[in-house]
Amino acid sequence: MRIAVIQFPGSNCDYDVVYVLKNVLGVPTDLVWHKFFKNNFYDAVILPGGFSYGDYLRSGAIASHSPAMDEVRKMAEDGRPILGICNGFQILIEAGLLPGALLPNDCLRFVCKWVTLKCETNKTAFTSLIPEGKLLHIPIAHKEGRYFNTKEELKRMKKGQQIVFRYVDENGKITFKANPNGSVENIASVCNPKGNVVGLMPHPERASEKILSPYKDNDGLLLFESMIRFLKC
Amino acid sequence: MKTKTYTVEVIIENKPAARDPEGETIYKDLILKGGYESVKSVRTGKYLKVLVDANDKKQAEKIVFDMCNALRIYNPVVHTHKIRVRGFKE
Amino acid sequence: MVKSKTIPVKVNLSNREIKTIRRLLGREPTPAEWGMFDIMWSEHCSYKSSRPVLKKLPTTSPRVVVGPGYDSGIVDVGDGYVVAFKVESHNHPSAIEPYNGAATGIGGIVRDILATGARPILLIDPLRFGKLNTGRTKWLFRYVVKGIGDYGNCIGIPTVAGEVEFDESFETNCLVNVACYGVAKKDKIFLAKFEHPGDLLVLIGGATGRDGIHGVTFASKTIGEKSEEDRPSVQIGDPLTKKLLIEAVLEILGTGYVHGVKDLGGGGLTCATSEMAAKGGTGVEIELEKIHVREEGMNPYELLLSESQERMLLAVDPKGVDEVKRILEKYEISYSIVGKVTDTGLLVAKFRGEVVASIPPKYLAEAPIVRRKAKKPSYLKRLLNVKKPKEPEDLSETLYRLLEAPNIACKEWVYQQYDHEVGVRTILKPGNSDAAVLRILETDRAIAAKADCNSRHSYLDPFNGSAGALAEAARNVVCVGAEPLAYTDCCNFGNPENPEVFWQFKRGVEGLAYMSKALGIPCVGGNVSFYN
Repeated sequence: MRIAVIQFPGSNCDYDVVYVLKNVLGVPTDLVWHKFFKNNFYDAVILPGGFSYGDYLRSGAIASHSPAMDEVRKMAEDGRPILGICNGFQILIEAGLLPGALLPNDCLRFVCKWVTLKCETNKTAFTSLIPEGKLLHIPIAHKEGRYFNTKEELKRMKKGQQIVFRYVDENGKITFKANPNGSVENIASVCNPKGNVVGLMPHPERASEKILSPYKDNDGLLLFESMIRFLKC
Repeated sequence: MKTKTYTVEVIIENKPAARDPEGETIYKDLILKGGYESVKSVRTGKYLKVLVDANDKKQAEKIVFDMCNALRIYNPVVHTHKIRVRGFKE
Repeated sequence: MVKSKTIPVKVNLSNREIKTIRRLLGREPTPAEWGMFDIMWSEHCSYKSSRPVLKKLPTTSPRVVVGPGYDSGIVDVGDGYVVAFKVESHNHPSAIEPYNGAATGIGGIVRDILATGARPILLIDPLRFGKLNTGRTKWLFRYVVKGIGDYGNCIGIPTVAGEVEFDESFETNCLVNVACYGVAKKDKIFLAKFEHPGDLLVLIGGATGRDGIHGVTFASKTIGEKSEEDRPSVQIGDPLTKKLLIEAVLEILGTGYVHGVKDLGGGGLTCATSEMAAKGGTGVEIELEKIHVREEGMNPYELLLSESQERMLLAVDPKGVDEVKRILEKYEISYSIVGKVTDTGLLVAKFRGEVVASIPPKYLAEAPIVRRKAKKPSYLKRLLNVKKPKEPEDLSETLYRLLEAPNIACKEWVYQQYDHEVGVRTILKPGNSDAAVLRILETDRAIAAKADCNSRHSYLDPFNGSAGALAEAARNVVCVGAEPLAYTDCCNFGNPENPEVFWQFKRGVEGLAYMSKALGIPCVGGNVSFYN
C-alpha cells in the first residue's frame, strides 16, 4: 500500500498529513511535488490544505489545471480513494471531481476553531469505520468554505448519499449557530456518486492525536483508518 | 430638481508601481501555462457597483468620490481608482 | 535632511557623518556610495543610537548557541535541536498601509529565521493601537489583523500568541511587532557571513523593482502629514512566493553546497552583502546588471538600495550551483547569479563593467555610534502629584466595565482569524492559557512562547516597566510548565534625538538587564524601533 500526498505551490498542510500517515499510522506515504505526480505508483491520494497559488483568482482555481489533476482524475475513475482536505476540497470542486462550489465565508473573515461534525454516511472510502450519526471533533481554518449548490442538485446528492458530514452543535443538532461559514444545509463535506472521492473543509490531520485536541480525542484519525480498511478489502 | 438613481462604478487597482502578486500569478501560472501567449499581462482589482441618488451625473460622481476618500474605500498609498458614471434610472 | 550642493543624492546623514564618510574613503563618494552609506548608517540599519545601551544586556548562558548580532538568536533545546527566534517591528509602514505593512512585517521576520536554516514554526504578534472608538484605529486594527492573518495563514505558519492594547498614545503611530520562532538541528545552522572566497552569490525570490527605496530612512523619521504621499515606501507582500522560498531554501540548505544565507530586508542588497562580508572578513564583487528585475532601466543606485520583498541571498559553492538551480526551477523561483565572494576585503559593485562602488564592508556595517543625551522627563514630576481616585460605590459595576474594556476583553475576534493549528504542533492554543505551547515534532520536547509588555508601566517607570515585562513573560511560560531559556526584545520608543525619550529607552534597557541578571535569562537578540 502506498499513499501520495500532492504538494502544490502554496500547499501548507502537506507535511501534517504525511506526519499522521507515517508517524501515527505507519503507512508508506510519499510527498509528491505536483509536477512529478504519476498515478500508477499509488493506491490512494490526498490533496492537502493550504493556499495553492495563494488562493489567487479563486481558491483551488489555478491548481485545478495542474497536470497532476489529470492523474487524479484517472484514479477517481477507477475507484481509488481520493481525499481533498480544505484547499484540496476546493481543488477537487474546481476540477469538476466533486459537485457544488465553495464560496467566501458569510462572515467574510478567516475562521480557525474546533467544530463538531455529524457523519451522514459511512458508505464512502473515508467513512467506512464511522457509524452514521457519530459526532466528531475536528478543527476548521478557512476563509472560503461556504458550500453551495442548487436545490435540485442537493436533492439529487441526498438521494445518492453524497453528503458526508454536516456542522452540528455538541448535541448533534443542525443549527444556525453551529454553522461556521454559512454553508447550505450546514454541509461540511461531500463525495462523488461512487463514494471514493471525498472532500471536506475541516482538517482531520489536526485531530488525529489526542494531545492536539481540546476534547482529548482523535476523531480525525477515523477518516485515515477508514481509507486503510477500504484499501485492504 | 428630481433626483435620479445613478449607477456609478468604482474600480480599484494597485498603483502601477506597486506589485500585483495575484495578477502576476494568474498570468504566469494559469494564462501563460494555458497556452494564451498573446496575453501580455494581467492586473487585478476590486469592482464596486454603486447605486446613488443624485441630481445629475456630476453630483453622483462627486458623492461617490468623496465617500471613497472619507471611508478609505481605497488607500491612496497603494491604490488608484477610477470612477465611472454608467447611467441612471428615474 | 541634509541637502548639500556637493552631494548628488538626498541623504539623511548628519554633517559629522558626512565628514566621517569622506575621511574614511579618502575621496568623494559616488552617488551610489552616498546612497549605501545613507541606508546603512540610518538608525534602522545601524542601531547607532542604541548599540551602546544594548551592550548592558546579558547575552550568554550554557543554552545560548548564537547571541545578538546575527539574523536571530539561537537556543539549544536538547536532543540535538535548536530554536531560532527573533522579534521585529513594522510600525511605520503599518501606520500608513496597515494590510501590506503588517503582511510584509511577517515576511521580514520569517526570512530572518529562515536565514539560519531553521524551519519557521510559529508567529507571535504584539499590537498596539489608539483608542478603539476612532475611525483611524478601527481601520488600522481591522487591516493589520487581516494582513497578519492572510500572510501568516498563506505561508502556513501558525500565529499562536500575541497582545492587543488600545491607548490614545498609539493613535498616530500604531505598533506592529511580530516574532517568529523556528526549529533546526544544532549541527545544521547557518550564520550570515561570507567566509569562502570563490562562492557565487545567488539572489533568489521576487524580482527587484523600485520598491521601498528609502524605506529604511523613512522608518528613521517621524510620521507627519506628508507620509501618505511617500509612494515608494510601502511594499506589497507576496506570501505565495514566500512559501515557495521557504521550501526551496530549506531544500537547498540541505544540499550542503550553501555556505551563507541572508535575507534582504531593510537596506536591500547593500545591507545583505556588507553585513555578511564584514562578519566573514571577506569582500564581494557584484555585477548589478545581472540582477533579475521587474522594472526597466533601473540604475545602480536603485539596484543597490531597492527593498523589494521576498528576496534572499545565498553564497553557493560553485560545485553545487547546478543542484541549487535545479531546486529553484522545481519551485519556479526566479534567481540570478549576481556576483561572488572575494578576498579583497572590499565591497565592489559594478554596473556594465564600470565600478560604481568600492567600500570596505565594515565601514558600511559599523556606523559610528551617536551618543545621545538622556534627561529625566518632566512629565514624571507631574505624575507624582496625581490625586488618588475615589473608590467606586458599586464594585460589581466596575468589574463589568473592566471586563468590557478593550484591553481586557476576550481577543477571540483577533486570533480566530489566525490559523493557529497548521503544522500539527500547537498543543496549547490562543485563549487556552498563559503561553502557547508547541511540540518539536522530531523529539519528545515542546516549547512555550509568549510576548509581554506593559506600556503604561513603562511610561510611568521605564526601568521597572521593562523589568516587569520580562518577569511577566517568564512567569507566563513557567505557568505552562516550561523553563525560561532566553528572550528577544522589541524596543519601541519615540525620537531618540529628544533626551527625554532617550532616557526612557536607556532606563528601559537597564531594567531589562537588571531582571535578566536576576532571573538568569539571557537576551539573544532584538529590535529597536525609534521615531514612533
